[in-house]
Amino acid sequence: MFVGEIINRRDVGTLASFTLQARESLCLSGAVSLAKGRVHEVMGDSADMFAVLVASQLSGPIIWTGLARDIGSLAPTALQDFIDPARVILTEGVSRGEVLWAAEQALRARCAQCVIIELSQGPNLRESRRLQIAAEEGGGVGLILIHGRAHTSACETRWRCAASSAGAAVWDLSLTKNRKGELGNWRMSWVKSEISGGAYEAGVIHLAAATAA
Amino acid sequence: MRRVLSIWLPQLPLDLRRRKADPRIAGCFAIISEIKNAWRLTHLSEAAIAAGLSAGLSLPDARAICPELLTEPSDAVREAALLRALWRWADSLSPWVALDAPEGLFLDITGCAHLFGGEADMAAHARMRLADMQITARIGIADTKGAAWALARFGQGEVEIAQAGKTSAALTPMPLEALRLPQKLTSDLRRTGLKNIGQLTEIRRAELARRFGLALTQSLSAALGHSPDPVSPKAAEPIYAARMTLPDPIGLQADLLGVLERLTASVCKRLASDAKGARRYYLTVRCVDTGDHVLHIGFARPTHIQPAVLQQFARPLEALKIEFGADWFRLEAAHVEPIQPFQISLDQHKQAEDDTSKIISTLGNRLGFDRVRQFMPMQSHLPEREFTHVEAMDRREPVSWAPAPRKRPLRLFKRPERLITLDPGRPPKRFQWRRDVYATQDAKGPERLTAEWWQNESQAVRDYWHVQTQEGVRLWLMTYPGSQHPDWFIAGRFA
Repeated sequence: MFVGEIINRRDVGTLASFTLQARESLCLSGAVSLAKGRVHEVMGDSADMFAVLVASQLSGPIIWTGLARDIGSLAPTALQDFIDPARVILTEGVSRGEVLWAAEQALRARCAQCVIIELSQGPNLRESRRLQIAAEEGGGVGLILIHGRAHTSACETRWRCAASSAGAAVWDLSLTKNRKGELGNWRMSWVKSEISGGAYEAGVIHLAAATAA
Repeated sequence: MRRVLSIWLPQLPLDLRRRKADPRIAGCFAIISEIKNAWRLTHLSEAAIAAGLSAGLSLPDARAICPELLTEPSDAVREAALLRALWRWADSLSPWVALDAPEGLFLDITGCAHLFGGEADMAAHARMRLADMQITARIGIADTKGAAWALARFGQGEVEIAQAGKTSAALTPMPLEALRLPQKLTSDLRRTGLKNIGQLTEIRRAELARRFGLALTQSLSAALGHSPDPVSPKAAEPIYAARMTLPDPIGLQADLLGVLERLTASVCKRLASDAKGARRYYLTVRCVDTGDHVLHIGFARPTHIQPAVLQQFARPLEALKIEFGADWFRLEAAHVEPIQPFQISLDQHKQAEDDTSKIISTLGNRLGFDRVRQFMPMQSHLPEREFTHVEAMDRREPVSWAPAPRKRPLRLFKRPERLITLDPGRPPKRFQWRRDVYATQDAKGPERLTAEWWQNESQAVRDYWHVQTQEGVRLWLMTYPGSQHPDWFIAGRFA
């Protein structure tokens, strides 16, 4: 029995199609997963939190690209609750072009399983296709954090993550776009696993059915 | 029996300028450096000495004595380079040469002197050759390093030789400074009435050690040859560079790459055979019309792999504008470090690490290595000083993070953003930040932080509040307590 549950699922068949994708995918919780070798968009106030939680489920370096103001405000003192801050490689671009270039290079590299890209406006079709191709080559997960508006793009999914008023470590997560599967709303929580001997271990993401939205 | 020759170059900085035919040397000229918070003369030209100046004089005093004095700050890098050049030259006298920075050399001349017709002739030969290079030198020869050093500096003549076995007699009249002791120890000894080394040797060693520490007795016994003090030469660092001069200038991209390929092949092969790698490569392209252009690339870890070097150079070479062609090229490997050979196919962890440094190199070469960074913890209790960024390329060893004492926001604004209070309170009940209006639902705090005591800040004390807004966003509010109507700031945003 999985903790996560898709609210608006119609039958078991669609649920199966959601999980059984051609590509390898990263299981977030229960049947909810994120395709690898794909680029995903994340919006909302706590988009960065969603990205950090996804990164915590992956191993290897995390390449975080963005403009100086976005990169500069990231605090490892908070990150260390979820991931080892030493894994993060910050890449600062001076323009959107540089950020996208760095993201493409990072996605193409096989070592980076998780690439986080911060953009003020969502990528357009051309930009997102380039990122998508790079991600396919590298096989990692690309997460685009969009602070402003999203545009029509070739990204696999679009998530919206916001802090929930229910508690401190609870977030409202919704999947607003999915090219291969169902949409849904969840209440996301995080359970830290016991740190043994200073080593960082991936905690567990719990996705619970959201109350009627 | 060992024989040691010490060369002292008392006027090295002046010689440096003399070799460049600096006209100022003829007049009143002095090299100055900052000693004890004052600019002081260290090396003086003959005219300056004749004018009544002496080394150690402060610059204002010297100016008062000799108004026409010209000065220049010492240039340690160029002086060291000259000394290293002389160190290599000294190989012609003896194969066993050690640097005695900042202005001397030690040569172990055991079994070499007869090749020059004896020690005196050897010293004369060395001085003559140095004089040809416009370098002033004084030479001391003795059984030990300490004695040779003392003879070169405190001997009567330009060349002082202590015959084999006569070290003690040669050292007896020498002043205490000849022992190369710390300044404080020398002045302590002087205060007790001791003036020369002969007086020291008369006192029992145990007494000296008890009063002045082991450094004195060790230095004394090394100078007298009672304890070993060998000349330890260090081989010159090889320079990994290759140069190519062409009969006709070239300008086509393919030709440039061809030249670069040959240069890298030569440099990388030598690096590989020495099991070394370079973190930086400099390529100098001399264009016939516009002069030298230096292109450089960097690597996150030392490398000697030719394709990687070629790949990283491709972009800067493309950007280089060559109009009438270039006919001279030089590739130099800098920041050379030893690399540990490893088996590629079996070690997957190593492979992943390799890929990571490759991507860091790629990103750094385009964006600049200061833009590819990692977090580094810092010792502070202030939230913005708890961490810093370091270049990912420089990061060698893993760091450990102490758990944060309190929950910190994921986004921490380096410069807190001022908010507009709509409904005052502590913290404000309603406020506007970045065009949005928020209402406080729940607030925890304050967490009061004071500045580090050595920081002299006007608004030293800060109160932080953890605010849960009705809109769902969790913010970190900050204020400076104490004022009547305190301003409020957003210090960060919790995830």
